[in-house]
Amino acid sequence: MNVVIVKNLMARLNAMGEAVLFLGDVLKVIFSGRVRFSQVLMQMYYQGVQSVVIVILASMASGVVLGLQGSATLQRFGAREFIAPLVALSLLRELGPVFTAFIYSGKSGAGITAELGTMNTHEQIQATRALGVDPIEFLVVPRFLACVLVLPVLVIIAELVGMLGGYIVGITQAQLPSAIYIRQTMQSIHYVDFFSGLIKSVFFSVIVAWICCYQGFFTSGGALGVGRFTTRAVAYSYIAVLLSNVVLTMFILTVWG
Amino acid sequence: MIKVNHLSKTLDDQKVLTDISFQVSEGEILIILGPSGVGKTVLLKHLIGLLQPDQGSIVINGKDITKFSQQQQLAMRKDFGYLFQEGALYDFMNVFENVAFPLREHTNFNASKIRQRVQEVLDMVDLHQVESKMPLELSGGMKKRVGLARAIVLSAKILLCDEPTSGLDPIRSHDISDLIRQVVKKIGATTVITSHDVINAFRIADRVAILHEGRMEVMGTVQEVSSCQDAFVKEFLQLSKV
Repeated sequence: MNVVIVKNLMARLNAMGEAVLFLGDVLKVIFSGRVRFSQVLMQMYYQGVQSVVIVILASMASGVVLGLQGSATLQRFGAREFIAPLVALSLLRELGPVFTAFIYSGKSGAGITAELGTMNTHEQIQATRALGVDPIEFLVVPRFLACVLVLPVLVIIAELVGMLGGYIVGITQAQLPSAIYIRQTMQSIHYVDFFSGLIKSVFFSVIVAWICCYQGFFTSGGALGVGRFTTRAVAYSYIAVLLSNVVLTMFILTVWG
Repeated sequence: MIKVNHLSKTLDDQKVLTDISFQVSEGEILIILGPSGVGKTVLLKHLIGLLQPDQGSIVINGKDITKFSQQQQLAMRKDFGYLFQEGALYDFMNVFENVAFPLREHTNFNASKIRQRVQEVLDMVDLHQVESKMPLELSGGMKKRVGLARAIVLSAKILLCDEPTSGLDPIRSHDISDLIRQVVKKIGATTVITSHDVINAFRIADRVAILHEGRMEVMGTVQEVSSCQDAFVKEFLQLSKV
């Protein structure tokens, strides 16, 4: 029993070490300037297009639900004018970055893992090496960078759309005057609220890119393996985003308040 | 020239290659035969540095490639052509893009020169009007031809082919074997092919080796191998109806 646990633990530590080395290889290529910008742009287009509609839909729904729940709850305390700050701050500080990272890892992240995994099982990654080209440079870095650049933009879109959803509820359900809602929103947002969310989104984008590229690059086991590694990539991304969000929130609240 | 000395490799606690030694002269075609799962592909992948041996050395043109760094290995592979079993074509590129890929990566050719060279090698492998097709639209034999075109587009000095006839019908196997011999003799590449297709191997090889349980059972000309008295070799050749 103990031997099995130790073996399992060793295998996991080994995999973690391998993942760290993989990230090191990716960063080495990026910082040595071996970046294929046309490929990055193409990947940004694919990943952005893949996720933008679902991000807009989800963030609109979140904004509307936040507005509805906020309106119902705050009305009990005669504070319905605080819907605007509630919606804006919830979206900027927490829901925008976390929800968007979830959606992104489930859509584009899964896509990255499945693509790289299929290439791996069809020997295309080995073929890249055999052709004298570094597969990290050719296949991984463009996807990794695209992810890191696209996710923060999607987070900003999600926050704006979510606030629009809250605004619609605020002026229709809670019957707040439009000008007051907008003023309340603007007054409640400080630079720290916006940047704390943005910092989180950049951090999440690196985590999602790292996990999804790593799982895809080391996929094995044929078509079944592609499914297994893709599911694993999404699950690990969710866990990593949730855990790092706790740490980041604690850090940001300690530093900025 | 390729010189393999006492090569051994263990994968997942299983000894795959044991003390393999052989040489391939410049321009020669060596075919390594053996049943499935005896380590033929593993051996081939060592020759291009895709796998590192546990023991032994691989000397190519006087240099031990097992001592090369990753960057040195990438640079070395510009002189290699590798035909994968299933072709390993990029499924997000069409045939033209696949064949042009090594030229774009390793030469300063302009677009018209690339087009001309791609056309030249596609003609060489007897493929016409397929440039815009995606790999998914190609048959198994066509994929191998495109894979071969991609492998020789940089005028490879060393060509490695992994089971080029597997999964093909006897006529296509015959054709692709002839094509490989014709192409490698034209470009003068030193060639190592792994296969279990004894009939075609005996037709096109300069020398043949038989691998069994990770060891070289026999190596020599077709006549030498045919007259080998080793029990496994005799059985393997007999069952292959030679």
